[in-house]
Amino acid sequence: MKQTVGQILGKAGIRIPLILWSLAVLYPIFWMFLGSFKSNAEIYRNPWGFPETMNFQNYIDAWANYGIGTSVINSLIVTLVGTALTLVLAIPTSYAIERVNFRGSHLLFMLYVSAMMIPMVLGWIPLFFLLMDLNLLDNIFGLAIVYAVSQLPFTIFILTTFISTIPRSLEEAAAIDGMSPYGVLWKIITPLSMSGIITVTIMNAIQFWNEYFMALIFLQNSKNYTLALAIDFISNEAQYTNAWGTLFAGLVIATVPVIVLYAIFQRRITKGMAEGAIKG
Amino acid sequence: MWSVRHIVASRSIYIERSDEMVQSKKQKYMFLAFCLVPTFVLFSIFTLYPLVSGLYYSFFDWSGASDNKEFIGLGNYVRLFNDAIIPDTIIHDYFLVVTKVIGIMILALFFAVALTQLKIKEAPLYRIVFFFPNIMSVVVIGILWMFIYNPSLGLVNSGLGFLGLEQYARPWLGDENWALPSLVLPSVWAGIGLFMLVLMGAISNISKSFYEAAEIDGATKWQQFWRVTVPLIWPQIKICILYIVITTLNGSFVIVQVMTGGGPNNSTHVMGSYLYQQAFVQFNFGYGAAIGVMILVLSLITVVILQFILRRDKIEY
Repeated sequence: MKQTVGQILGKAGIRIPLILWSLAVLYPIFWMFLGSFKSNAEIYRNPWGFPETMNFQNYIDAWANYGIGTSVINSLIVTLVGTALTLVLAIPTSYAIERVNFRGSHLLFMLYVSAMMIPMVLGWIPLFFLLMDLNLLDNIFGLAIVYAVSQLPFTIFILTTFISTIPRSLEEAAAIDGMSPYGVLWKIITPLSMSGIITVTIMNAIQFWNEYFMALIFLQNSKNYTLALAIDFISNEAQYTNAWGTLFAGLVIATVPVIVLYAIFQRRITKGMAEGAIKG
Repeated sequence: MWSVRHIVASRSIYIERSDEMVQSKKQKYMFLAFCLVPTFVLFSIFTLYPLVSGLYYSFFDWSGASDNKEFIGLGNYVRLFNDAIIPDTIIHDYFLVVTKVIGIMILALFFAVALTQLKIKEAPLYRIVFFFPNIMSVVVIGILWMFIYNPSLGLVNSGLGFLGLEQYARPWLGDENWALPSLVLPSVWAGIGLFMLVLMGAISNISKSFYEAAEIDGATKWQQFWRVTVPLIWPQIKICILYIVITTLNGSFVIVQVMTGGGPNNSTHVMGSYLYQQAFVQFNFGYGAAIGVMILVLSLITVVILQFILRRDKIEY
């Protein structure tokens, strides 16, 4: 294909904003990694450059003295319990809505889906007292339940789409062979919609790992803090403690798992989120 | 008489024949209950009930202790209308909505066109990079940008100094006039990737023949963009705008809470962060619930109005 000089120049021109935006995205993230290896004195002296030595002291401090270690474990528990519970609740409902004929199935679907549009902030006040009554306030398992239910609409929405692509003939053949509907759900539908299940699970996991505001409201004791809260706490304290390096180490610890997931599942994540946006 | 006998007869046949069916009907309902009931019960307890009782709480004066909940009718709503901070929070929310829609849509559309139509080899790389902030935690994004805006260490002020524009350097997040606009950039930074992807998907679905036809008719690239690309991806543009509006009205308080906590001097409070402060910091739970109802009503009204404004018949050539 021939290109005129104008086209080549045009392409170079178009690359400038693309490169600039890439730098704008990458540099702060890159610099967060660099900062986590600097001492406080170095951060003040040379905030935006490379560290003089690779110093892991910030990570040790963050992990042991600033509660990041505990909060990582809390975040892991919340994320794992939350994603598992979401699936347990969403898979059977998605199957029933999509494949079992019953009156009101469409209405039920609309009810779940419309909850995606409702600002939940109104519900958080009563939820606070409900969790208190149930003894689940300031409890990471309580938070995991709240997370799981909050992601139900999105999860059901994505899973019904996936289940609708499974040929009905497979279910019918299994039923003729005498398989119960429970067997069909567990042995036919679940394996065949695995791709969708993996996609929503990764997205829910990232969501739960990153979540901040509900954790802020529903957790109180610093022993129960999730990673987002622990970092926010260090950040608020940093004005007085000047523990900037430690804060950077905390940010890195919070971001690395997301980077790893993104590196492995980049296509699934982007496709899942774009679809969620379009159809929602 | 005939009809009754007829019904009885047909009934008995039905019953004889369908003993098995009754059994399987029962099984079907058991299965449906198994699938639907636990999920729906939890959804009702943790989503539906809180929303409805949030509405209920908004009619009470309540500091959180269970005994002194006092019914005050519309008292909280009267207070809402007389609270001088409330109009500011609404304006701040819509300021963020408008600036985010403009900022994100212009950049996302530009990048989407550049990455799909100008055959750039490294396009997938840009796509991967631009999307990444979408999956970062708002806390991480907020803290990173607090550093970027930091008066003494921050990139913005040192960048201005480097360019010889020191007089424009300021404590961005500590300045009443600049704190709110300063929140727009991180939001745009974090949001572009997703919308760029949605628009890229739409653009790559446009048949090449439209552009070839436009080319033959002598349309410039710019005309092609406005006459071919924009009308054909209008449904997706509309979805993106709606999505930005909804997520901003329902979630802008998160970045506000992380970066400024509503300050300085309430200059960045949005409705949600003000709700948080009233309910969970000052323990005015009834009043907080009334603010929550306001958020719900305003976001529903906004979505309905927007749908009406953006209504433009789908163009098919």
